Amino acid sequence: MKKVIAREEHCLNCKLCEVYCRTAHSQSKDVIKAHLRENPVPVSRITVQGDNMLSVAVNCRHCDKPACVEACITGAMQKDPETGVVTCDESRCIGCMTCMTVCGFGVIKSGKFAVKCDLCQGEDMPACVKNCPNNALVYVEVGGAE
Amino acid sequence: MKYVIIGASAAGISCAKTLRENGKDSSIDVFTDEAYMPYSRPIISYYLKSYVEKDNIYLNSPDFYKENKINIHTQCPVTAINAEKKTVTTAQGEFSYDKLLIATGSKPFVPPVENSENAVNVFTFLDMAMSEKIKSYAGADTDAVVIGAGLIGLKAAEGLRKICKSVTVVELADKVLPSILDDKGALMVKETLNKNGICVRLGDTVARCNREGNKVTSVTLKSGEEIPCSLLVIAVGVRPQTALAEEAGIKVNRGICVDKDTMETSLKDIFAAGDCVNSTDILDSCEKIIALWPNAVREGKTAALYMSGHGEKDSGSFAVNAIDFFGQQICTCGLIKAESAQELVSLKNGYKRLLVRDGRLIGFVLIDDAERAGMYTYLIKTKTPLDTLTGDLLDTPSFMMFSKEVRTERLTGGVKV
Amino acid sequence: MNYIVPEFEIERNPNKCISCGACVRQCSYEVHYFDDDGKTVLADDSKCVACHRCAAVCPTRAIKIKKYDMAYKEHFNWTPTTQKEINLQAATGGVLLSGMSNNKPYPIYWDKILLNASQVTNPSIDPLREPMEIRTFLGKKPEKLEFDEDGGLKTKIPPQIQLETPIMFSAMSFGSISFNAQKSLAMAAKELGTLFNTGEGGLHPKLEEFKDNAVVQVASGRFGVHKQYLESGRFIEIKIGQGAKPGIGGHLPGEKVTVEVSNARMIPVGSDAISPAPHHDIYSIEDLRQLIWSLKEATCYKKPVAVKIAAVHNCSAIVSGVARAGADIIVMDGFRGGTGAAPTRIRDNVGIPIELALAAVDQRLRDESIRSCVSLVAAGSFRNSADIVKAIALGADAVYVASAPLIAMGCHMCQQCHSGKCNWGIATQRPDLVKRLNPEIMYKRVVNLINAWNHEIKEMLGGMGLNSIDSLRGNRLMLRGIGLSEKELEILGISHAGE
Repeated sequence: MKKVIAREEHCLNCKLCEVYCRTAHSQSKDVIKAHLRENPVPVSRITVQGDNMLSVAVNCRHCDKPACVEACITGAMQKDPETGVVTCDESRCIGCMTCMTVCGFGVIKSGKFAVKCDLCQGEDMPACVKNCPNNALVYVEVGGAE
Repeated sequence: MKYVIIGASAAGISCAKTLRENGKDSSIDVFTDEAYMPYSRPIISYYLKSYVEKDNIYLNSPDFYKENKINIHTQCPVTAINAEKKTVTTAQGEFSYDKLLIATGSKPFVPPVENSENAVNVFTFLDMAMSEKIKSYAGADTDAVVIGAGLIGLKAAEGLRKICKSVTVVELADKVLPSILDDKGALMVKETLNKNGICVRLGDTVARCNREGNKVTSVTLKSGEEIPCSLLVIAVGVRPQTALAEEAGIKVNRGICVDKDTMETSLKDIFAAGDCVNSTDILDSCEKIIALWPNAVREGKTAALYMSGHGEKDSGSFAVNAIDFFGQQICTCGLIKAESAQELVSLKNGYKRLLVRDGRLIGFVLIDDAERAGMYTYLIKTKTPLDTLTGDLLDTPSFMMFSKEVRTERLTGGVKV
Repeated sequence: MNYIVPEFEIERNPNKCISCGACVRQCSYEVHYFDDDGKTVLADDSKCVACHRCAAVCPTRAIKIKKYDMAYKEHFNWTPTTQKEINLQAATGGVLLSGMSNNKPYPIYWDKILLNASQVTNPSIDPLREPMEIRTFLGKKPEKLEFDEDGGLKTKIPPQIQLETPIMFSAMSFGSISFNAQKSLAMAAKELGTLFNTGEGGLHPKLEEFKDNAVVQVASGRFGVHKQYLESGRFIEIKIGQGAKPGIGGHLPGEKVTVEVSNARMIPVGSDAISPAPHHDIYSIEDLRQLIWSLKEATCYKKPVAVKIAAVHNCSAIVSGVARAGADIIVMDGFRGGTGAAPTRIRDNVGIPIELALAAVDQRLRDESIRSCVSLVAAGSFRNSADIVKAIALGADAVYVASAPLIAMGCHMCQQCHSGKCNWGIATQRPDLVKRLNPEIMYKRVVNLINAWNHEIKEMLGGMGLNSIDSLRGNRLMLRGIGLSEKELEILGISHAGE
């Protein structure tokens, strides 16, 4: 499967990946409306950690053996056997956050539902990768859908 | 290959799924004494407080079982295992197996409470049937009393608070959630419960029920206090369901004894997983019952891999809990108490308590400060030496705490770009 | 009290600002900052240098940088800039420093020269249909060719540098620019079949793989010079002067001498790297001759040696001397050449335009019949392909460009190179800023730019009915002046339009 790989040597800590992630997961799909008019403001699925000197964007690794899927008490968190993408079905998620507590990458955010990267399903390229100004994020085949 | 699974909850269903993923032609039969298709047991409290509809309690769609040829036999208790003949006796007759999984889970422990026998308004709270019963019984004028302030008792109380006039929780220990929280954390949770209208009586218990006919009308506490009660939930704990295994001659010591790597019981070709087995805690190497969902799923999977000959050693058990009461987020993991362990506490955001021993993280309690909690879980699970990390452990964990090599390896999975 | 009025003002559109903080984190001058509420973004106008990094990174285009609209009592002579400079010096007592290049409105002769095109008698050529040669060779050319009885070439050809375009990248040292900027140029040079120049900064070990596309420089500080360095370049360039600051040496402040820079330059970390104004072993053409031949000897006569001088008043005579001293290539840098740092007064007042210097030098060498002894490389601000075509027609063999590729890499001409805070990761050694320039992205932009120029050069050549850049070299009949005086036309050696 294809995954988002972050190259910290190129990360600028500009956090535009977060901005465009929120936009991609907004109602309006418009940067300004998503941030200024929508309530609640969408949550970014990717987080830049560190500071200007050293930073890296972290999002779901879509693990081969996802701890979040194993721990999900409702079956809302699933790994698609074909695409390998791990997604949370919001209609079934009850927001218990067991997934957040077991995810070793710390990439699941809490809210009414568990919020996590879905690799922008349906798009050629995730919004974070598409809009990274310095090619710090790349979308590459890493082998194995599992 | 013929597989039989007794129990259709976390361990049973994860075992069935894994078996199917690893072999198309085998037959898989899952038996449950419940009337429901496999559902999420922890969700029953969310159902009680009407947070989820009844349609949404199921783990998978009915089509899933059809497509994967997993036969779920509901309302079909298994009454005996014949290990020599390799058969199980069920309400629907005898089934033979090549490999068997016992995933019978646990049952509520009901201590003798004077004058409570056969009352129509005394309940336990462990399965969907009970949740439905309570939900239909409780009303706006109900005075509910819950015995036990563990996870189940408090979840029941939270659900009941939405429906009932009053809710009182009675707990013998001197704090709520005694098995997962430290004193300070427990106090915070108790305050939240109080703020949301739940009375909590600690260090006390129900001495006897007072009833009118077949209905309990009030309870008298050991302390002498009498509390009106028109609905009593007994949630003091659970016990593993091991009778079936014991009768079949399988070694049991509180829980069913299993090989910690393979989940095989003392009898060949019979495996066991989930709340009914003794797990070995990787943090203190003690055998104990870790009655938690993720643990059961993992054990079911491990058992399936050995049953189907794709064996892969179990990665080991330890406790992980995530729960919320009235929006207060509580995440705990590992041990809450250990000899010669050091406590790190931060009150910056909510409450964060980390337990460190021999330079390794062995447990945490996070209340309303659970951002990236899983990274702590990772440190516990992998027993990462803390002196290899940089920064303050009490800060929100981030990948910056790892060395460049570890960070890159973990984030890229070794992919060179 | 602050006497200095800010030059720029930040206008932030509150209907567009989403408080993402990208501007706050990206501005090395710390112009933008969050208010205590963590949402409202404020700005300190006085720190803004108009580099546009914030505006470029802003995802909603909420930022506009405007000229600070402060009225001054009109005075043609005492302009706001002049007053500002006086106030700066009154406050500090220091020499004014600037980056980039002469920004005063002196005549730009490129814009007063027009190119010819064929009509009827000498058909124009379509470079998309017919071969068009822009390959360029640099090095001493033999007076005449001799052949043996079998027709084999008897004349020994001096070492030649083959370039696939007449455009090379001028000297910019690792130190004055970042490693990533230099690497981008090196990668671009490799792909384009041309050369980049290390400047006086040595060759970073990580750029060894680009040595076949490197020009190595020997300047007055002799930083980073050793045998292997000399051997790694395609040719060696002795730097006597620089167009942006003729008569002035270089000064790389200690704070820019990082571990990496210190290794490449072979000087201690944190020490100021001072390139003296003169080479202390060169006080005459004869001294220069010694250095030229020493370098040739050191590299077994396999490498051409170039000498770079700033275009100054008597440059024709100097170039004649340099040619006779044994240089294979002579580089002349006009007064609009760039720099990482120069005293503002020098930058803006010393030297002469490359157009006039080039024409004068080419003519002088022809008059003395030594033009073929050297290749001439012109430098000092080529803004587009037409400037280059005109330079070649005036007699240049090739040109050096630097500002244009820097602009392609993000430079916005804020002229603060000397501050070391370049927000675009070009003129800085701060790791957090350097990483902003990703060579993977930037080398491609530079390649695109030069490819586009190559294409335009071919079109202009075709239009003139020429199919090879050699046919244009020194072909001043292809040029006409417009709006120029008799004297200017005479120096340029061209006729006026209409003549």
